[in-house]
Parts: sequence; C-alpha cells; structure tokens
Amino acid sequence: MVFSCIPFLFFFLPLCLILYYAVPFSWKNGILLIFSLIFYAWGEPLYILLMLFSTVLDYTNGRLMERFGTTKCRRTFFLCCSICINLSILAFFKYADFVIASVNGLLGTQFAQPHMHLPVGISFYTFQTMSYIIDLYRGEVKAEHSYTAYLTYVSMFPQLVAGPIVRFADIQEQLHHRNITLDKMEQGLLRFMTGLFKKVLIANQAGALWEEICALGASETSVATAWLGALCFTFQLYFDFSAYSDMAIGMGRMLGFDYNENFRYPLTAISVTDFWRRWHISLSTWFRDYVYIPLGGNRKGVPRHLLNIAVVWFLTGLWHGASWNFILWGVYYGILLMLEKYVWGKALAKLPRWIQHTYAFLIVVFGFVIFAITDMGALGNYITLLFSFASNTLADTRFLWYLGNYGIVIVIACILACPVYPWLCRKAASLSRGKSCVLSALAGLSVLLLFVLSTAYMVSDTYNPFLYFRF
Amino acid sequence: MITNVKIKRAVVFLICIGILSMAVCFLISPKKEFSENENRYLTKLPPLSAKAVFDGAYTDSINDWLADHFPQRDFFVGLKSRAEIAVGRKEINHIYVAEDDYLIEPYAKPQNTERITDTLVKFYEKLDQTALDIHLMLVPTAVTIYSDKLPTYAPMSDQMATASAIYDASGIPAIDCSDWLSDGASQGQLYYRTDHHWTTLGAYYGYLAYCDAKGLTPVSLESLTAQTVTEDFAGTLYSKVNDYSHKKDTITIYTNPEDDLTVTYIDTGEVTDSLYNLDYLEEKDKYSLFLNNIHPLIEIENKAASSQDELMLIKDSYANSIVPFLAHHYRKIYVFDTRYYRDGPSSFLSDHDKITDVLLLYNMNTLDSDTGIRGIY
Repeated sequence: MVFSCIPFLFFFLPLCLILYYAVPFSWKNGILLIFSLIFYAWGEPLYILLMLFSTVLDYTNGRLMERFGTTKCRRTFFLCCSICINLSILAFFKYADFVIASVNGLLGTQFAQPHMHLPVGISFYTFQTMSYIIDLYRGEVKAEHSYTAYLTYVSMFPQLVAGPIVRFADIQEQLHHRNITLDKMEQGLLRFMTGLFKKVLIANQAGALWEEICALGASETSVATAWLGALCFTFQLYFDFSAYSDMAIGMGRMLGFDYNENFRYPLTAISVTDFWRRWHISLSTWFRDYVYIPLGGNRKGVPRHLLNIAVVWFLTGLWHGASWNFILWGVYYGILLMLEKYVWGKALAKLPRWIQHTYAFLIVVFGFVIFAITDMGALGNYITLLFSFASNTLADTRFLWYLGNYGIVIVIACILACPVYPWLCRKAASLSRGKSCVLSALAGLSVLLLFVLSTAYMVSDTYNPFLYFRF
Repeated sequence: MITNVKIKRAVVFLICIGILSMAVCFLISPKKEFSENENRYLTKLPPLSAKAVFDGAYTDSINDWLADHFPQRDFFVGLKSRAEIAVGRKEINHIYVAEDDYLIEPYAKPQNTERITDTLVKFYEKLDQTALDIHLMLVPTAVTIYSDKLPTYAPMSDQMATASAIYDASGIPAIDCSDWLSDGASQGQLYYRTDHHWTTLGAYYGYLAYCDAKGLTPVSLESLTAQTVTEDFAGTLYSKVNDYSHKKDTITIYTNPEDDLTVTYIDTGEVTDSLYNLDYLEEKDKYSLFLNNIHPLIEIENKAASSQDELMLIKDSYANSIVPFLAHHYRKIYVFDTRYYRDGPSSFLSDHDKITDVLLLYNMNTLDSDTGIRGIY
C-alpha cells in the first residue's frame, strides 16, 4: 500500500490514528504494532513471517548479548551471528538471482535461479535491526526488554517500506516515553500533506513524462528530449523519495515520534560530497557509521582511504538494487568522491557558486540515468543519445511538444527543489501580525485546495508507482 | 508557513473532517455498477479467496474498488482533467485536446500492417475476381483530415502512408476518400468533437468517393430528409478525457424517402424497416443508434433500390453511418462485422451468387488497434 492512495489516506490512517489517540499510553505501542502488521501484510501477506523472524532473531540476540556478553569475545560472537543471518537473508532474497545470473553469464554455466520475489522494505528493516545489534555491541544502546516495543520499532508503518532508516539509538527512549500533543499532530499532518502533494502532483507527473520519453525509439529522441527525460527522472525520484520521507516524518510526528530529516534539498548541492550529505541522509550516515568509519575512514593513509571509499560506494550502489546499473551508479559516485577529495575539490570550491551548482546538478542528473535504466544495453543506448550532439538532432518538435505539455510542472518542480519554502517561512516569521495572518490564511487555503486536487489525482488513479520495490 | 495558530488549527480540522466525511460517505452510499461518464463498468468488490490474498491481487482490487466508488468520483475525475488542461497539457489519456473544441485520437505507429496485408491478400486471392467488383476503402480519422486543428507540435504519424502501403501490398482496388474528406472539411463537421467516428456528413463524403469510383450517381444531400436526433452526444473520447465541461455533439441522421427497407439482424432475428435505433438516444453511447450497434451480420433489403445489384459490406463501426447512403443503390446489402462474424465471409459468398460487389471499409485507427479485420479470412 503506498501512502498516496485512497485506502491508506481515507481508511487505514484515520482509523489507526483514532484508535491510537483513544487508548491509554500503555496500549499505544500495541495499536501501532497491529496496524503496522496489517499495513505490511496488505502488500506482503506471506513475507511478513520473514520480518517477524528477523525481529525475533535480533531481539533474542540482544537479550543474549546482554545476559551472557560479559567478554568482548562473546559479544563479538553474538554480533557475528546476527549480522551473518541478517545479511544471508538479505542476500538470498535480494541478490541470489543476480549473483547466479552473473556467474552464469561469466562462466557460461546453467545454474537455476530461485526467482525469489523481493520482500518489500527488506533492505530498510534489515539495516534497522542491524543498527540495533551493532550499537548494542558498541554499548551505545541498552538491550530492549520489551519485544512489543522492539517489533513496533522495526515494523512501524510510516518508515517500514521506504525509509528513512531510523536507528534504534535515536528512538529507544521515545518507544517508552513520548509526548503526543495536538500541536505535534497538526505539524505532522501538514508535513504529511506536503509529502502527499509532492508525490501525487509533481513526482507522478514527472515520472509519466520520463516513461513516455524512455519508450520512444532512438530516431524519435533528440538530444534535448533525452536530457529532458533525465531531468524528469531526477525530479520523479527526488520528489517521490523525499515525499515518502516527508510523509513518514509527518506520520511519526502525529504518533509522537521525532525522526531525523532524510533529505535537505540535494538538488541544490555544490559538489558531489555535498550532495551525499543532503540525499537519503539516513542511508549515507548508516554506511558512514557502520562501514566507512570501522574500516578506518580517512585516517589510515591515502591508499586505504581510497579503498574504503570504493567499498562503501560499491555497497551503497548494491543496496539500491540487485542489478549492474546500481553498482555502476555507486562506483560512479565513489570515483567522483575520490576525485573531489584528492584532485579538484579545492579548486572547485574557489569557483563561482553557480558553476559549483551546475557541476553538481549535471553529475546528479546524469547519475540518475544510470540509476533509472536497469538493462545495460538500453542504458548504453540512452547515454549515447544524451551525448550524440554531432549525429543526432539537438532539438525537435517533439521536444517542444513535451515542453508545452509539462513545462509548468517542470518549472514548479525546479522551484520546489530549491529551498524556497524555508525561505518563505523565515520571511513569514518576521512579518507583522496582520500580514502574517493574511499569509497564513492564503497558505492554509492553498493546502486545502491542493488536498482536494491530490484527492482528484488519487481517485483518477492513472499512474501511481512505488519505486522502491528493488531496494 | 502557517504561523497563525488558529488558522493552522482550522486547516487541520477541515482536512480531518474532509477525510472522515469521505470515508463515511463511501461506506453508507449505494455502489453504482456502471459509470455513464466514463463509459465503463466499475470494479466490484472482489470475492475473498486465499489465492487472491496471497498473491496480492485482492488488495489491488480493493484499491480499484475504493477509487471507483469514491464519493463524487465524477467531480474528482473531471477536476483532474480540468487541472491538467489548466497547466498546459494538450494530451490527456492519449487524446489530443485540439482547437475548436475537438478531441482527437492520435494515430499510433501501426503495429499490424504486415498481418493485415497478409490477410487481405489471402482473402482477395480466394475471391472470383472476374465476377465480383471488389474495393478496399481505408478511411482516415480526424487526426489526418483535421490535422490543422491539432495542438502545435503534436506528434503524428502519417495514416495515409500506411493506407497506401496496404493498398499496394494487398492488390485490392483502392478507394481513397481522403481528398474528398479534405475538400469537404470546409463544408461542415465531418467528425464528432467528442467521439472517434465520422459524422453522417463525413460518411456522406466517403459515399461520394465510393460513387465516384464505382461510376454511380450519388443521391444529393438535399433530396434526403435530415433529422437532428440529439445535441447531447458525449462520445468515447469525451469519456477518455473526462472534462465534463466539454461541448457535446449533435447527431444528424439522413433518410431517403424513396427507399423501402427491410433490415434483418440475423443474430437476434429482429426485423425492422429503419437503419436507426433511436432507443440508443437514451443511453450514453448514442453512436450505437446507427444500425442498432454491433451485429455480426445484418441483411438490408431495399425494394426501391436503383439497381438489382447486391453488396457485401465488410466493415467496422465507421461504416454504420455510411450504409444509409449506400442502401439506395443496392437491392440487398449484407453487412459483416468481422470482429464478431466467425464463419469467414468467403464461404458466405459461394452460397450467395447474386452478390455483385464487395466493399471492405475500415477506419485507419481501429484497423490497426482492433484486429477484427483478420476475421475476413
């Protein structure tokens, strides 16, 4: 169930919230848990068992580590057990087909692929449970005694299927004590609405044009059309993914939880390094804290630093899907980060700001082309189109046609990809009382209108994809 | 940005009320079976089965069911279309929103040209070409004749190029009515604004092209009785675009007072004296009034025909509005809809040796998208 659909928004969420607010605090985790399990079972009626197994495993491991983990050696044993089992499950369900296909391709063998269907959200919840065990090993959290609380943490529907990856350390306290206030409920609902508008009104539109361009034949695609397609996919992914985080953070807030921000206007980054501080922050900090720093980060000499970057970005790419293009995408960023660290990073920082923005933006847009097309042959063709300045028409009437049809949506996307909203909020805060009343009323009215419009789009329900089924 | 606490509270309150009232309305309101505006049956609540639950089909259909029966669905669907038009979209649900209130179906790149010509070749080879006068008429749709009304830069492929390729490859003598239609475009409305069919006037120009090719003297439009049967026709394209403020169409039908018709619908056994069934004016798809919608085989006898010739007309729904003009020239017309007539018209021919003419009439869009023509062989 995606958040931006009729069953979720008009039935599941209100019912859940009404019950959640009605019951005493000690029951709230229970209500949340029941609804989360229903939410997961709605999309994955069978694999919910896998998720339950995963939580039982790590909960038990945590208790055992607490009880018997008196020496470092024993603690390491429990840690390794948990990590091995978690990664094996992930590897089997997510990567088995890919590995076997790659081996068959390389060696010409004929091993049968298991053709497992990928459980939704497995990459997100596996990383969440692993964060618990690793933090516990490091002594950064206390073992959780309540299985209900632990299962609630892992399965919580706001962040279960598309992130952000919430770390147990950040939320353990809140699982047992949290403030649920009308004020937070209001903030949360409005934040959720922001996400809903981004997903339904921007991301889905940009995505529709991307799919249309992608389906064109090479002879119908001018260079400008190809770049327009790449831009549209960039907007689709950013507005879709950040919208999920907005909706998750908003719903978390309505339930009394405070999640960390997951996106900070990544398309306005001034370098690749900066981009990764702003894009899917919960994933990049996860890799930083649990892979990059344990490997030694940048403190063990240049060759080791380069190796660490390579490992982390190979894994980051692989995390996004079991396909070569995702690995290529990770490696692409790994190499660019190395170059920024050791070759042109300092020179880049001295250039005018607009050059830095353009540089990062083009790299990101091109990167998402690699991300978008899983078939390597098709990817190669599309990249050729992007750069066929000499052999292909630069722009044709079809490009102008798309521009006419989608121009306004693209302009709105461009504006919203920049931090215009926080800027307006700051301005609003400094206004006089009367003026801020008028502004509030206008903003309030727009929210209501956009809500009606989003409902219209959801009811018409033509194109509403869930992009993270590969994650 | 909503800094005022009271306004924020009011907005949140209104959203919550909106969500809850919609949910309650959904639960208590009766569920419609059919959407007139969208011209389709709405999803029913699926039966619960273990298989459907576990492969996820059940939850998918719940989603469709909720969306289809959502309170005020027509308002929301229409709002979406209005919003898209407002932000500059000229193509909605694969239909061009063209000038002068025309909705025009694009011509998609043909996929089946080779299979169609193969069928036509086989069909043609089997016929007795010395005894029969055979013609193929591929009618362009509004996208070709009204190409000047299309939105600027709208992508289009050339229908008549495909038609020529089919004419050449099949070897069947062609009747190209596109010039007749182009010339007639200034004389009146040749295609419906909201439907993919040609109007009766459009069909009349097609008829003129046919008469010209056959050497027949066409009946003049003035000598026919014209009757405007509806001004409230919202056709198939209207239902795809769902902009409910769109201007609707007028249907005019023509009857020849000289004709003396007996129309027999072979599948139902119904016999009547009219080529129109005006009962369809009460329904959404008013184009069905021509030849009583779809029938595999219709026999039309005209005792006052200008000749004793008999015509075998193999066609799609476009031809339903040309038959009233052709009827005057033939003692008998056998009308085949090859999407539904399963026995192959060729064997029918050998049983009916009075047939003198064969006309294959299809429009260029459904020719490729609806593979009914393959039923001719």
